[in-house]
Amino acid sequence: MTITRRAAFAMAIVGLLVMLGVGPKDALAHREKHTPAQLKAFEELFMEQVKIGDLLFHGDEATQKRMNVSLTRSGMACAMCHPFAADVHPYEFPKFQEQMNQVATLRDIINWCIEKPNDGTKLDLDSDAMKALEAYLMWSTRGSRVDPGRH
Amino acid sequence: MDDLSLTRREMNQVLNSGGERPAPSLGITRRTFLHRSLLAGAGLGIGAHGWFPLINTVDLAFGASEFKFAWISDTHLYPKSVNTRFVDTAVRAVKEVQAMSPPADFLIVGGDIGQLGDPVELELGAEILKEVTIKKLYIPGEHDWYLDMGVAWEKLYGHSPWAMDHKGVRFIGLDTVSRAPDFWTIKKMTPKERMGHMAVLDGSVAGAWAGVGRDQLAWLDRALANWPKDQPVVLFSHNPLWEYFAPWNFWVRDWRDVHEILKPFGNVTNVHGHVHQVLYNEIGKMRSIGMLATSWPWPYPPQGVPALSPCQTRVDPGDPYDGVGWSRLTMNAKSAVDNEYVMWRKDVIAQAPWDSGCGDNGNQILSPRIADQDWPHYGAYK
Repeated sequence: MTITRRAAFAMAIVGLLVMLGVGPKDALAHREKHTPAQLKAFEELFMEQVKIGDLLFHGDEATQKRMNVSLTRSGMACAMCHPFAADVHPYEFPKFQEQMNQVATLRDIINWCIEKPNDGTKLDLDSDAMKALEAYLMWSTRGSRVDPGRH
Repeated sequence: MDDLSLTRREMNQVLNSGGERPAPSLGITRRTFLHRSLLAGAGLGIGAHGWFPLINTVDLAFGASEFKFAWISDTHLYPKSVNTRFVDTAVRAVKEVQAMSPPADFLIVGGDIGQLGDPVELELGAEILKEVTIKKLYIPGEHDWYLDMGVAWEKLYGHSPWAMDHKGVRFIGLDTVSRAPDFWTIKKMTPKERMGHMAVLDGSVAGAWAGVGRDQLAWLDRALANWPKDQPVVLFSHNPLWEYFAPWNFWVRDWRDVHEILKPFGNVTNVHGHVHQVLYNEIGKMRSIGMLATSWPWPYPPQGVPALSPCQTRVDPGDPYDGVGWSRLTMNAKSAVDNEYVMWRKDVIAQAPWDSGCGDNGNQILSPRIADQDWPHYGAYK
């Protein structure tokens, strides 16, 4: 009975992957060793997001326009208070954020900064711009000690 | 050891060799630091965090009568149509300077009046500063300069450097911003693009733009040539005259030459802007005091905060009046200059590491930005 359930579960997963357009070979991709070329491609894809996030964080108008976002109406940019992403502490989230009176994620506080000091329009939490900002912040502070909840 | 650490070590070797430090009359003592929390008896953590000055007293032996002067800088004004937040804080500082009683002898405006060098911003600054009726002195910041290379600035605020003798003190105003290496011509940048790079503190394109320059060094040498070596000298500059954190131009690149000129003088104080934060240091025989901005506070950099400096308290980013302000300075009859940070919200100086702009960063490792190195894609990244 147990075996049957497991088999049914595995089939359901494979079926789901097929429905999503991912073939069985792709579903097992992580069992293959990565090639240096793959790793380079992964790195380049990530760094592209970092650079986009960097430009958004520094108020680049062309990048905002291209992504159809408006992060400021006051002339303020995130980097004006956070050069090198200093004092953002992205590795401390989630944590209680006094200004919001709630336990906030990094994406929550990014939106708070966009709306309050910057007087901009907050981003969809899963938007490309939000992911790019998150990528930039995490990359800029890589090596810092992860310490969720620290205030 | 990284490049920054090596340079800082070199600076200490050059300037602090032979135990050289400010004259004994300039010595820091606990007595000279006063703070509201001490007066209120809230002394928790004092031993661990050193000095907690609300009033930072710099003793200068000159024996003249007491007088006050005020400092306002880094207003970073946008046109009113864009942003009134910085206008409001600048207006408040100006009103408070004008209300000083007894009045200050003069106001020194330490640069970065505008944000993007727009004549509208600089004219707005001049309009706001009209309310101050005492003597006003000016030095430029990089945000004032690089749209039109100082044309509007000099028209409105005059030329730097300058020297002024006042009640036994030689005051000098330096221009530490206008001598950036030309990074724009070869890349055919527009004036707006040039200004845009200068306006980003952590940008890498403008490079080491802060400097005094050979011509101004020669001028400084001449300006001090006839001044008695034991008489006080106060230098106003936008950037600190020592290496604090070069990647943000918290320095002047030719600090060695500056200090070579100042070396014979025993009572030298540098009052500077640009850092937007509480900062204090002693370099060679010189004391250096960083001023608050009226616009927004900068975080402390990842390296280089002097051990002598108290650390500013963490601020509420949602409160435009927190972490910012101006300075009231007094040269008193007891041969001392007091610097009082006038910050509008809470106590200026942190009382505990978790409330400190320095102490909060123990687990933080930072990297320089990367996208602006992708010229010519900067600004149009696909």
